[in-house]
Amino acid sequence: MSIRVIKKGLSDSIQDHGRYGYQHLGIQPNGCMDYMSAWLGNYILHNDIHNPVIELHFPSGQFQFEEDYTICITGANFVPVINDKSIELNTAIQVKSKDVLSMLQPIEGKTSYIAIEGKFEDPAWLNSKSYNGKRLDKDQLLPYKPKPNTNKQNQLRLHELVEHTQEIVFNNHSPIRILPGPSWKYLKDSSLFEILNEGFKLSPQANRMGFNLIGPKLELNIPNAFLSSAVTRGTLQLLPSGDIIVLMADHQTIGGYANLGQIILVDLPRFTQMKTDKSFHFEIIDLDKANQLYRNIYEQFQY
Amino acid sequence: MYHKINKWSVYSLGDHAIVFALEEKIDPFIVHTITRLSDFIKSKGLPGVKDIIPSYHTLTLVYDIIQFSNTSKNTTDYLVAFSNHILNEFDLIPTTSLIESKEIIAVPVCYEMPFAMDIESLSKAKNISTDALIQIHTSKIYEVYSIGFLPGFAYMGTVDEKIQMPRHEKPRMQVIAGSVGIAGLQTGIYPSDSPGGWQIIGRTPWKIFDPNPSVLAKFKVGDKIQYYSISKNDFDKMNEYN
Repeated sequence: MSIRVIKKGLSDSIQDHGRYGYQHLGIQPNGCMDYMSAWLGNYILHNDIHNPVIELHFPSGQFQFEEDYTICITGANFVPVINDKSIELNTAIQVKSKDVLSMLQPIEGKTSYIAIEGKFEDPAWLNSKSYNGKRLDKDQLLPYKPKPNTNKQNQLRLHELVEHTQEIVFNNHSPIRILPGPSWKYLKDSSLFEILNEGFKLSPQANRMGFNLIGPKLELNIPNAFLSSAVTRGTLQLLPSGDIIVLMADHQTIGGYANLGQIILVDLPRFTQMKTDKSFHFEIIDLDKANQLYRNIYEQFQY
Repeated sequence: MYHKINKWSVYSLGDHAIVFALEEKIDPFIVHTITRLSDFIKSKGLPGVKDIIPSYHTLTLVYDIIQFSNTSKNTTDYLVAFSNHILNEFDLIPTTSLIESKEIIAVPVCYEMPFAMDIESLSKAKNISTDALIQIHTSKIYEVYSIGFLPGFAYMGTVDEKIQMPRHEKPRMQVIAGSVGIAGLQTGIYPSDSPGGWQIIGRTPWKIFDPNPSVLAKFKVGDKIQYYSISKNDFDKMNEYN
């Protein structure tokens, strides 16, 4: 009753809604980077949207099913194939025992998800099955217990949800929206202008802990040393070099560098999937609107 | 969202967290007020609160947008009303849990080689004997001001000026779990093997972090700590890693 890792990927892991409730002990929250694509895969399979999924980064691993399963690939398009036959994204796919799933090349996005119909039977640690820095290894067995759903999804509604999610995560080229943080007020006038008007790019230095940005060197009116306080996923931290690092799912729980602001939750999946060569801008949004956007999207993933 | 309530600043941190902040100062009274507020909010068992994180002068609540403010009101109004309500109630609680009445956790440390890798260079740099350095490090009661960097890593302060030393410019590739270090005015213990730049002056036989859910971190923010010196022999007897 398992899926076997037959080839190790660069940085594949099991992720779910994340490990909250322990950050006061310094325990990182983890969880899916592009949570929206993970929700989508689970939703298509009629799982709980927070069901543990396999998160893939390219080059990703190769998996052999030791059972018949229904799976769904969402998020980045790495050209998934079953035994060399290409399969659709965002669609429930039947696989047979002994079938092999591979990812051929990264065409769009950076993080892909395999959702599996059924239950992931590894024990949870502190209310989550998300890996905390650990990676999937060769020959590892992933104990997914198939549990066919009798519930039929409304196909028209599914189609709309897929379109809508793709729109938010991939086909949207508007600025990345942020809420200014406690150190925003210390930015020099020139830096304040630059952060809102100049383009930024992702540096190749990007992992589940954080994404480094390439852009204007920003400066503060005061020294960049603060008493450490809590940070969140999406926090824009200003490094002593003047560059920004955006904290991602495996971020440390506290930080002592300037906290310039936070990317809103709704824009994090899109930010996660952004390619390194793409230039983007930041834009300020207000809190009420950010919360409303999140509510609207969450609502669509309710059965 | 930003507003002032008496000595507190309250502001939202992104779209799913809110911060209660006092004056930005390393101060035992401030950190104890923060931990008292933390305990108070925890005791309310509010729906949708995912994390309550005290650190020095701030308390951060991370919340689930859907469950926390499931209301027709807009978020800003809700957060202002919420923080007013919390702080007004908090102000009414008598501050009987005085700092002085807190139990002091006595932490054994072996300041000998091969554990105390930096003790000689540190005492040379500070122009004191290693015995004097140990005496100074063990004579003070430290507050835990923050936890982070690694699960269970407690930032304690403040270290006597006579033995303060900045961290190594080049961090070590591996510092062994239990290593006790100094970085500027802070002291702390590595809870797990990790790269690290602190000046290592000894090692505790205690397990500082245990992934067993009923154990986890040895210290929490607001704890009071005092180190005491033990021999290599005692270390071996007390070693919790065996």
